[in-house]
Amino acid sequence: MNLDRVLQVESVTKVYGKGDNKTEALRGISFDVLEGEFLGIMGASGSGKTTLLNCIATMIKPSSGRILLKGSDISSFRGTQLADYRGKEIGYLFQEFELLDNLTARENIILPLSLHGVTGKQAGGELQELASRMDIVDVLNKFPSQMSGGQKQRVAAARALISKPSIVLADEPTGALDSKNSKVLLDKLYAINKEQQKTIVMVTHDANAASYCSRILFIQDGRLFHELRKNVKTETRDSFYERIVTAIAQLGGGSANVL
Amino acid sequence: MFFKHVRRNAAKYRKNNGLFFSSLVVAIVAFYTLLSLGDQDVMRFLKTIESDAVSKLMLLIPAVYMISLFFVFFLVYFTYRYQLDNRKKEFGLYLMLGMKRSTLFAMLMSETIWNSLVSILLGLPIALLLTEGISLATAKLVGLGIIGHKISFSIPAVLGTVIGFIAVQMIAMLFLSAAFSRKEPMELLRSDSPEKQVSLSGKKGWLGLVLGLFFLILAYAIGVTMLRSFDFKIVMLVLALGGSGTFLLYHGMGVFIGHKIQQKSPARSGLFTFTGRQIQENVLHQYRALAVSSLLLLMALACISFGIGVASGRGSQETRTVDFSIEGSKQEVCGVLDSEASKSMISMYYPMFLGSMNTNLYDQTGAVLESKPNAHELSWAGLSAALANLPETDLRNNMMENFSDRSGSYLISETSYNNLLQTIGKKPIQLGKSQVALYTSMKDSSDFINNLDDALKSGTYIEVDDRKYELLPNIYFDNVVADRKITLYSALIVSDEDFKNWASDSSTPFCWNVLLSQKTVNEKGLMQAILSMEQNFAGTGLEYESYIGGIGRNLFYTVAASYLTIYLGILFMVIANTVIGLKYLMQQRENKRRYLTLLMLGADVDDLCKSAGTQICLFFALVLGVAVFSSVFAIWSMFTSFLKLPVGTSLVKVIVIAGISSILFVMIECIYIHIVEHTSSREIQALRVRDRGNAF
Repeated sequence: MNLDRVLQVESVTKVYGKGDNKTEALRGISFDVLEGEFLGIMGASGSGKTTLLNCIATMIKPSSGRILLKGSDISSFRGTQLADYRGKEIGYLFQEFELLDNLTARENIILPLSLHGVTGKQAGGELQELASRMDIVDVLNKFPSQMSGGQKQRVAAARALISKPSIVLADEPTGALDSKNSKVLLDKLYAINKEQQKTIVMVTHDANAASYCSRILFIQDGRLFHELRKNVKTETRDSFYERIVTAIAQLGGGSANVL
Repeated sequence: MFFKHVRRNAAKYRKNNGLFFSSLVVAIVAFYTLLSLGDQDVMRFLKTIESDAVSKLMLLIPAVYMISLFFVFFLVYFTYRYQLDNRKKEFGLYLMLGMKRSTLFAMLMSETIWNSLVSILLGLPIALLLTEGISLATAKLVGLGIIGHKISFSIPAVLGTVIGFIAVQMIAMLFLSAAFSRKEPMELLRSDSPEKQVSLSGKKGWLGLVLGLFFLILAYAIGVTMLRSFDFKIVMLVLALGGSGTFLLYHGMGVFIGHKIQQKSPARSGLFTFTGRQIQENVLHQYRALAVSSLLLLMALACISFGIGVASGRGSQETRTVDFSIEGSKQEVCGVLDSEASKSMISMYYPMFLGSMNTNLYDQTGAVLESKPNAHELSWAGLSAALANLPETDLRNNMMENFSDRSGSYLISETSYNNLLQTIGKKPIQLGKSQVALYTSMKDSSDFINNLDDALKSGTYIEVDDRKYELLPNIYFDNVVADRKITLYSALIVSDEDFKNWASDSSTPFCWNVLLSQKTVNEKGLMQAILSMEQNFAGTGLEYESYIGGIGRNLFYTVAASYLTIYLGILFMVIANTVIGLKYLMQQRENKRRYLTLLMLGADVDDLCKSAGTQICLFFALVLGVAVFSSVFAIWSMFTSFLKLPVGTSLVKVIVIAGISSILFVMIECIYIHIVEHTSSREIQALRVRDRGNAF
């Protein structure tokens, strides 16, 4: 069973500031992510969900606790190991896409590979496959300024996937998209998760986006507050959506009573 | 509180922008050096003998100063824009916190004034030291001696520098802060997104590139082949072609780089594509700045080469042959020169027999205008025939026409000329029977000398009274009198006997030449020695010309031309380099997010610094490459047209000076590149992935 755990988060805390100014963003969070899971993380603003994602992405270091990816502690990574982790083990999907706007779509997608010594030629096959899956073959030679928002995010998704990462981290990936483009992107992510068993961790505000997940963690004030599991076999996306909305309502209304 | 804030901000600026602050200090030094030119020892000395020319130059200086202020304006403008861009967020916050726009404006202006004052306080002492140094060095170099040295602290120059510098800063800041304080706080608070990738259509880009190259090649060709006559229309044509060619070239270069990247990037990994695209973007967006910087550098290289050419061309070959040429009878002259006071200062004196040949006078057609008793018949036919064998040029045709005139040529006696050669340590001439030598004082015209030399080397002769006289294969051109105003297109050095026979007046010397002793010159410096010798002549009624009078004008041109052009050259260089460096750093700062994304995607900080380093080197190389390539042609056409080095200029010396200046140039460029690289690495290393949140 241990083999199936891609990511283990163990009692992670994050404290900003010192003394009287201390802010506890994460107060000891523990959970596992299993291989092939599509995990959603939800919570109100300031609940600590982005801090958690940033800890997993090594953008910030936890104050205490451990984060293990396939059994190795990522907070001990330095230098090349850290760069390799960022480039090969995780794929990151940003809310604002973060494409380099002076590179063409093709160059943007290949970037994580070329940073690790793979040439465009070598990555050609992989690129074509991803591009057709993401429906961006037509824009491969265009610059970001010549693409629509949806195309940009799908290019960013291709970039996050090209290095075959163990886990894809997505920070509000639909935050800057309209509903139609959000749906296209989520359908693609869902398909990849299903067909390739790619593990995805997605932070979102949006109950509709969250309904694509197989499990959802709710965070409040730096603690795990609630967990929802989709009954993959029997439950439809719509009914899971209902449950999510209900949970959010309870989270919002009942938080005073909980604390 | 307000002023404390201003002072602290200003100090922070100086610390963070060391390079550009030093550029400002250099500008101040340059300004003062230019404005105090009139107080330099050499100029004060020249005022006494060439007052007209000096006062004309002094009228020119304000114009040059205005030009340099105009260029320094751009330097200041770019520096402050870079600095203000960095502080946008800070200004946005001030406004959000309720600072009045007028207060923000006042704060920025006060910071500018404070920084200007600090630069001036630093720059002026350096400028004073430098001008004193230049003053002493040139005085020593031209033999003025340091006796007459005056501390040249010039109040008007200081005032001019301070007013000009502060005015330029204030105007630049006025433009910028007006633009900044008009912006909404949100615009300032938001980190600005880089300009969108300009997708220049391929055809347009290639067309620009090809046209640019074509214009440049045309400009080079016209410059090298047709600029000799220095026709105003041609000069304008070369400038227009060269300028527009440079702009078009840079405009099209982005497409070329893009093409190269697409060709090469599939086979390359790492940051190759990113680095290439960054440079391409820089070129596409900044092609105007690149073209202007490149042209400025070209001007800098041309100005400095011109300055060096003038200095080494005019200064070096000037052999001092005679200090005084005195007119008068033997008795009068010897009376003065043999006196105790004079004797100790003189190394030797001798009569200079120089006169014209007693011939009939002819008009242009060769018909006799005036016949003279006992006239001799002179014919240059031998020399003309030798000239006719040379390749046909306008100059050769002119020379043949001039040498067809059989009217009285000038004659110099062999002994007189040998006396002169002896004083400058050259081997005397030995004329055999039926031999004469050709003399000219037109040594500044190297084509003329080369033509004559070629003709003489082929073995030629003149005829006097139908008797052939062989011309020696060498040409002689040492100054025969102290006064440089006397020029001899051609003269014949003939044996004393022939001189006696042929000259109209062979008994009285043209003048008496005096050379001061080396000891006196060493003790007092040449100029002072000549001035004190002149005191011995005072009241004797003797007419004389001195070496100073002759070289005064020459020296003036050397000092003025080389000083001004080297000054402008250095100023252009500083401005061009600063603009390139700033343009790059501004772009890097605008692209901060890209570097953060790269870090997130697993790029190494060292690799990013390396990529930035490559971008900087290539960015500089793009500007320098075109400038240096164009400057080769500029300097080539300059040295083959209006700046021909006179005969006798030591080529080794010119090469050594050019070599040293090139090495200095390369060193200065390396220093600039290094400083920009250092700044850029520091900024990249300061990026942390966790800053990402703040960058949004």
